[in-house]
Amino acid sequence: MSEQVSQLLDSLRAKAEKGELLYIGENVVRVDSLEKVLGSPVYTADLIPKGTVYAKLFHSSIPHGTIKRMELGGAKSYPGVLGVLTSKDILGLNESSAILPDRQLFADPVVRSTGDILGAVIAETLPAATDAAARIKVEYDLLPAIFDPTESLKPGAIKIHPKGNIARQMKIRKGNVDEGFSKSDIVIEKTYRTQFQDAVPLEPEVGLAIPEDGGVKVIGSMQSPHHTQAAVAKVLKLPPEKVRVIQAVTGGAFGPKSDETPYDVCSTAALAAVKFRRPVYCGMDREDSMVMHTKRHPFVISHKTGVTSDGMLVADESRIIGDTGAYASLGVFVIVRATFHTVGAYEVPNVKADSFLVYTNNTYTGSLRGFGGPQAIFAIESQMEELARKLGIDPLEFRLRNMLVPGKKNATSAVMDASCGLPQCVEKVVTSSGYREKSVRYRNQTGSMRRGLGIALLMHGNSLGPEGNDYGAVHVEILSDGTISVGSGLTEYGTGAISGIMQVASSVLGVPLSRFKLERPDTSKHRESGPTVASRVVVIGGNASKQAAEKLRNRLIPVAAQLLKTDDKDVAMADGLAFDRHNPSVTVRWDDIVDEAYRRGVNMKEEGFFMAPAAPWDQEVGQGTPYVQYTWGALIVEVEVDTDTGYYKVVGAHAAYDVGKAVNPGGVLGQIYGGTVQGLGYAMMEELVHKDGVVVNPNLGDYYIPTSMDIPQEFKTFIVEVPGPLGPFGAKIIAEPPIVLPGAAVRNAVLNATGVSVDDLPVTSEKVLMGSRLKQAPMAP
Amino acid sequence: MSTLELYSPTDLNDALRFIEHEDKDVAVIASGTDLMPRMRKRQTSPSVLLDISSFTEDLRYIRQSEGTVRLGALTTVTDLLESPVFYGKLSIIREAAHLFGAPQVRNVATVGGNVCSAASSEDLIPVFMALDARAKLISANGERTVPLKDFIVGKRKTVMKSSEILSEIAFDPPEGHSWTAYEKLGRRNMLIIAMVNEALVLTLEDDLSTIRSARVALNRVSGKIPALASETNKFLAGKPLAPDTISQAQNVLASELTLTDDFRGSGAYRTEIAQVYLKRLLERCSRKLGGP
Amino acid sequence: MKRVITLNVNGTDHPTSVDASQRLIDVLRDDLGLKSVKEGCSTGDCGICAVLVDGKLVNSCLMLAAQCDGRRVTTVEGLADDPTMKRMQGSFIENNAAQCGFCTPAMLMASWDLARHSTDPTNEEIQVAISGILCRCTGYYQIIDSVHEGCKGARR
Repeated sequence: MSEQVSQLLDSLRAKAEKGELLYIGENVVRVDSLEKVLGSPVYTADLIPKGTVYAKLFHSSIPHGTIKRMELGGAKSYPGVLGVLTSKDILGLNESSAILPDRQLFADPVVRSTGDILGAVIAETLPAATDAAARIKVEYDLLPAIFDPTESLKPGAIKIHPKGNIARQMKIRKGNVDEGFSKSDIVIEKTYRTQFQDAVPLEPEVGLAIPEDGGVKVIGSMQSPHHTQAAVAKVLKLPPEKVRVIQAVTGGAFGPKSDETPYDVCSTAALAAVKFRRPVYCGMDREDSMVMHTKRHPFVISHKTGVTSDGMLVADESRIIGDTGAYASLGVFVIVRATFHTVGAYEVPNVKADSFLVYTNNTYTGSLRGFGGPQAIFAIESQMEELARKLGIDPLEFRLRNMLVPGKKNATSAVMDASCGLPQCVEKVVTSSGYREKSVRYRNQTGSMRRGLGIALLMHGNSLGPEGNDYGAVHVEILSDGTISVGSGLTEYGTGAISGIMQVASSVLGVPLSRFKLERPDTSKHRESGPTVASRVVVIGGNASKQAAEKLRNRLIPVAAQLLKTDDKDVAMADGLAFDRHNPSVTVRWDDIVDEAYRRGVNMKEEGFFMAPAAPWDQEVGQGTPYVQYTWGALIVEVEVDTDTGYYKVVGAHAAYDVGKAVNPGGVLGQIYGGTVQGLGYAMMEELVHKDGVVVNPNLGDYYIPTSMDIPQEFKTFIVEVPGPLGPFGAKIIAEPPIVLPGAAVRNAVLNATGVSVDDLPVTSEKVLMGSRLKQAPMAP
Repeated sequence: MSTLELYSPTDLNDALRFIEHEDKDVAVIASGTDLMPRMRKRQTSPSVLLDISSFTEDLRYIRQSEGTVRLGALTTVTDLLESPVFYGKLSIIREAAHLFGAPQVRNVATVGGNVCSAASSEDLIPVFMALDARAKLISANGERTVPLKDFIVGKRKTVMKSSEILSEIAFDPPEGHSWTAYEKLGRRNMLIIAMVNEALVLTLEDDLSTIRSARVALNRVSGKIPALASETNKFLAGKPLAPDTISQAQNVLASELTLTDDFRGSGAYRTEIAQVYLKRLLERCSRKLGGP
Repeated sequence: MKRVITLNVNGTDHPTSVDASQRLIDVLRDDLGLKSVKEGCSTGDCGICAVLVDGKLVNSCLMLAAQCDGRRVTTVEGLADDPTMKRMQGSFIENNAAQCGFCTPAMLMASWDLARHSTDPTNEEIQVAISGILCRCTGYYQIIDSVHEGCKGARR
């Protein structure tokens, strides 16, 4: 073997001898990379068998009303059409809702948004189904519609759901804000607004159903196979065992694929499959997806904040309104996360928050990376900037005085412990960005091009926290040829997290990732492990994987010991070999250990299960420990603004995240780059626009996400590692956090460059220019 | 869409004969970059597509003879970028081509397609209008030439008859002390439909400080129609190129523009930008010419 | 109304019967089984369907199949043995450039096209080359790194 490989092996063995972590903290190649670069047919749309028919969903054209009549004749008689499914064709329950039972699969009779699905045309080809669907005519009795969530809350507003327009309410009561305000030298009241963001996974939602065995097999693009299984079973009136759901390789998700849309496409496909005894493909195109899947909640957040003249936060009162559109979906938890993060990464002795998840007749909102965090942090970080300016204190200095550090208490009165790595994150970005020198230099600028820096700090509660029991199972099986097969109900859709949990097993067993095989998540083989959301895979799945691998290792050690003729305690395993710590030149190969273990009838299959500790909190006052650990972060962004047009570019970004332990640093960076750029889209250019309840720009020519030409030319990233108590090897979550900060950081940078406060996202060139026209001259910092 | 018919003519004459006699709703297709998305969104539903994409011998060329530049209708945006012709005072064409769409779109989008769409989303139209280009329209019965300023008569409406195909865009490089420039604003840096794009061809007198003529054209002047800013152009002619003139011209432009709001931006903002760009374009051209 | 056309795809002539509304992407995926070509937006705005037609990068969702009669089409599958493509694919793997993988084949086609013209492109040149292909997962940085490496030593 080559010199290089031999050196690598030596270093691995040295690590194993010392009991150090193998493969963790290394950039190992992801198990699923090869099929992606080869363009292999592994996505749902690539797996369509011969004889498949196509389902095209059709949706409401009005935002609020009841269906009077549906004229299906034109569609039914169209050449190639097998039939049209509507609510009358549902075999079980007409339900497709994630949490609250407030949503149907096919709306009937009440329609609450233009995204409500009314049915599906089933035809031999997709073009035929599409053309036929265009021939369907629906008559409605219109009802007054509401598009502004603050209107929904007014007494006398039309009830969008029988129980009223508030889907969930929450409170935080910490200390006494009235006393706090009386002790404050300065009090600022401001309202901030955020927009509908579309996740835009490059692969839209799709599902394929094949009738099988008195039931149905479903293959689809989704985040939660078991939830999809339960949803389909309910619609088809089948026992869950008769609905087998397999997650195909999924082309991006970001949230909506863990909400109702996979249930919609898979249930529709399954209904049609059972009815017509043919495989059925139900695929959304981009327009369908942008109209019918969940978006990020727009929020209206008002803060009243009191500070002392020496820059200490005393009290904050916030009113938080989230627009959940026609249905609650995961909004019931989004509002919770947003509320708990209402004062962000700062200690405020007195906090009062009242939050409302409100129905409107806009298309519905639900999960999207960040899950209430981006909205909450946009508001508080913008407010922090306004406070600093009013106080005449440098924005960084003001944040340093108030930020959470070990020993301080957050909004729920949880005490931050030694695993709080926020100060380290701040230090890294302040140094990297040249903040101190630049912020002074940028106070005196001439010319029409102006630069500015903006900061935002992150506290991000890990995992499901208050959203439910947080558990997961991972199966590890060592096959007779030495391959290690890993399967779980947890899903991969680009995050690299599944590779990460396999890396954990790889580390424990001392076998390189190249010997591992990933099983497609399959409800017939893998235990329910909750939805793959909230970035929980590394923490929950990683722990389960570690457990399974450790159990297997403990069974293999005695086998290896015997083959090496040494004691169990002296066996070390690394790089597919076992060796005697005291005599490392004597080795035995992994494959030989496996052979011997099989010969002896050792159980080579194991399941690891991990449940996060309970997160107790008092619902009445929003106090307690809803999260067991936190990810921390800091972002500084530098913008250059053309003050004649308001157009600006982000010329530099400096980001640091405390991830506890970076299992795969390349993967962690991938999440930081990707999440930050998605957050820059949210900050600068993304806006799904509704006009009278109709989505005006449901396509990628009118809804803008960043291209390669929009990324900051300079982007410095820093991984900080302060181990947390929950994840394997101290790991914290990283998949969601990077999308949270750019909204506020960009807004604050633009403010510092121009003196213009843009209080509603996205920060467009128009708002900057028109804002500065109103202001006449920039405010001095 | 599955009842759609496609006619692929054997040559250009065959194509012209087809549209002379065809009474179904025919749409000419070259690259499809404008037509295909519109058909997908059901904004237009022709019954028959007439495919002229293969007539590259007849219609894809960049020629310059006796000064006059002639662009065959099938000239792609990439062809414009790669041509040695569009430098110096004609660099406006390269500027616009560079900001046009993305590589895959530039490789197939055509000059003819751009002009015939007559939409405010078509970047090359203001450029050609500022250059005082003319469109050659051919039919089975002959041909005619229409100045581009008279070619577009409404939102996505031209003077073309259903029996005509646009075969060429021609223009003469501006004479004397002239320069050209282009500006575009959208919501992101590239691959973007413009909120405002503005083109200028400026000609100065020999004294290099008086404007002989200015041709400013925008993607939207009234409503959503690309046009010359004729009041502004009339105002600028003969005036000294000075700050005072420029700010007055900006006022004329503001009153000439009647821009509507849409989800990309408000009419008021677009009007502001148009004014800012007017100043920039005048100053850029002036600097290049050694003017004030 | 069907007609027979001949597409040369990845070096082989394929006579196929198409109707007027079939797009190049439909023929490549459905008739020829070339699943590396993907559909992300159907309106020519995302570039995920990008392939080379007569050596030029185009969006296959906007081209009618009938317009490709007699033309040469190249997809990732056709470059499986091409040393430059293999180098580029290896670089994508090593630099973590493929997350969900949906944009990857299109990115590879654009990158391979660039590598044919340049062994040492600047960041800006790479960004322009891929500016018509949207990626939602990576933020583009690791793709740009991969293309730098993949272009080095590429054969002209």
